[in-house]
Amino acid sequence: MDRLDVEIPRGVTYCLLGPNGSGKTTFIRAIVRLLRLDSGELRVLGRPVAQVGRIYSRIGYMTQHKALYPDLTVEENMEFYSGLYGIMGREREKRIEELLGMVALSEHRKRLAGALSGGMYQRLSLACTLIHEPEMLLLDEPTVGVDPRLRKVFWEYFERLAEDGKTVVITTHLMDEAERCQMVGYMRAGRMAAQGSPEEVLRQAGLRPVLSLWLAEPEKDAAHLGDLGYDIEVRGEVVNVSLEGHAQIKEILAEVSPVDIRLLEPKLEEAFLRLSEGS
Amino acid sequence: MKRPDPGRVGVVALRVVRQLKRDRRTIALITFAPIFLMLLFGYALSGEMTGVQLGLVDGGGHPALRDHLLSIQDFDILRLGSESDAEKLVAEGRLDGAVVIYPEEVRVLLDASSLQITQAIITAVRDGLGQEGAGRASETLLVTRYIFGYDLEMIDTIGPAILGFVVFFFTFILAAISFLRERTLGTLEKFMVSPLSRIEIVSGYILGFSLVAVIQSATTLLIVIYLFGVPMRGSILDAFIVILLLGAGALALGSFVSNFARSEFQVVQFIPVVIIPQIVLCGVFWPVQSIPGFLRPLSNILPLTYASDALRAIMLKGSSLSEIFPDLAFLCGFFLLMFAAATLMLKREVG
Repeated sequence: MDRLDVEIPRGVTYCLLGPNGSGKTTFIRAIVRLLRLDSGELRVLGRPVAQVGRIYSRIGYMTQHKALYPDLTVEENMEFYSGLYGIMGREREKRIEELLGMVALSEHRKRLAGALSGGMYQRLSLACTLIHEPEMLLLDEPTVGVDPRLRKVFWEYFERLAEDGKTVVITTHLMDEAERCQMVGYMRAGRMAAQGSPEEVLRQAGLRPVLSLWLAEPEKDAAHLGDLGYDIEVRGEVVNVSLEGHAQIKEILAEVSPVDIRLLEPKLEEAFLRLSEGS
Repeated sequence: MKRPDPGRVGVVALRVVRQLKRDRRTIALITFAPIFLMLLFGYALSGEMTGVQLGLVDGGGHPALRDHLLSIQDFDILRLGSESDAEKLVAEGRLDGAVVIYPEEVRVLLDASSLQITQAIITAVRDGLGQEGAGRASETLLVTRYIFGYDLEMIDTIGPAILGFVVFFFTFILAAISFLRERTLGTLEKFMVSPLSRIEIVSGYILGFSLVAVIQSATTLLIVIYLFGVPMRGSILDAFIVILLLGAGALALGSFVSNFARSEFQVVQFIPVVIIPQIVLCGVFWPVQSIPGFLRPLSNILPLTYASDALRAIMLKGSSLSEIFPDLAFLCGFFLLMFAAATLMLKREVG
């Protein structure tokens, strides 16, 4: 990592994106002090990283290794991790039940973790990470091998956690997941190539939503819109207008009467491709 | 059946070589471990007995025998006044044996717990008598007396040490491999980012595995006593305590060593380094006296040396725990040292 400047506010879902080897995992490991920074400053939940050891109980860390015991049952694995955080008795039962429900493993409680499928194993690992209700979650690719339906459940859960004021940091390769996050950071070669809300990142990459208008008199209307200061491009009978914001749609439609319209939202993927090429 | 494809075999072989090439520790072990072991065995086996502590009571007669014994470089001769003195010193383990010479009879008092030493002493006495000339030697009565036990078989003298060795070996391997598994499963990394401290991790581990050590100690002890019929003159509970202490040391050593291994493959390579020298140098299979001087300090820092000494004392001589206090103190010290080392070595940077 080099010249990395990141601020992750509390109570958001933050997505770390980037190609393999771009430093996502390294960054997360630095946050929990499994790696030490050569230089620079890092604060975790308001404390300098050197003191992070004192607040490990407030952090949930899920590695790419699943960190489960294949020779223990689903339940036993969860009980073990509960024990590490001193969660016992009724409270433990309640938490285990709730989390197993969330990751849809309630029926597999008594199965050996080693006998679970890859996706189930992953889900159990996530459940174990959430057992102590951490304030800050650091999840390294938590949705690998998880089917889309359950992924949606996960994301709803993460969003709920963020609403409760918890910070959820996630690394992923999947753009649709990134688009769900309140904030994204795109890492490349150990640096943050772009960060902010998905909309901000799109803007940083120079990508804007494009409104396509099918017009009876494209030349005339195009000239009119051009005079009004819109960024336009004419392609046959279609006029494309790059939008500064969605509010402009209404203004444009007040000026011209298209036969048909289509709104093309830019994709984060495109933004990242563009940002990668640029730097 | 499909025939093996030489091309594929080559690809696999190349990969193995490539992996090996990046594994310096394995290369070093493959190269030096055999040399190391051959040297060890070679020295221990070929070595003459030196430093055998032999008492000599001269009751008159047999000058040739006396001179012969005094001329043997490997024996440290201590001249004593009476046979009862000699008997006492052998009984206390301060002498390996004693020769009491009377004109009409030669008595050899032996510490029965090491067969090799008693053999060496008896051979020396026979040689000495032989030098007196055929006639006289046959007239002289040679009496051998074992101070501890009688009828000791090989297994009786070695049994107590094997007991220690087996428990040491298995608990060591177990601790080393399972600690390593924590690393490979990623659970250790998770521990590091949890309220669990390093001392808690190591203690928890040793505590958990001490159950295994308890079971192993009990079963091996019972086998040695009831299956092999090794005498148990002392308290079985005392013997159990010694073995358990040794097992705890082995667990701590295993946890410590696993820090230096990145795979089960590498753990197995620690066996020749950690385990085999103990067998060779603990003074059981080959007496400490047969180990050349420059290797003896090594022998004195190995836990198995002390454990087998203590176990033999308890089982063969009926010693109590207070009599083997130095052995117990060393075993405790070894455990504490290894425990501290294992804890300190548990690096935060686990990946």
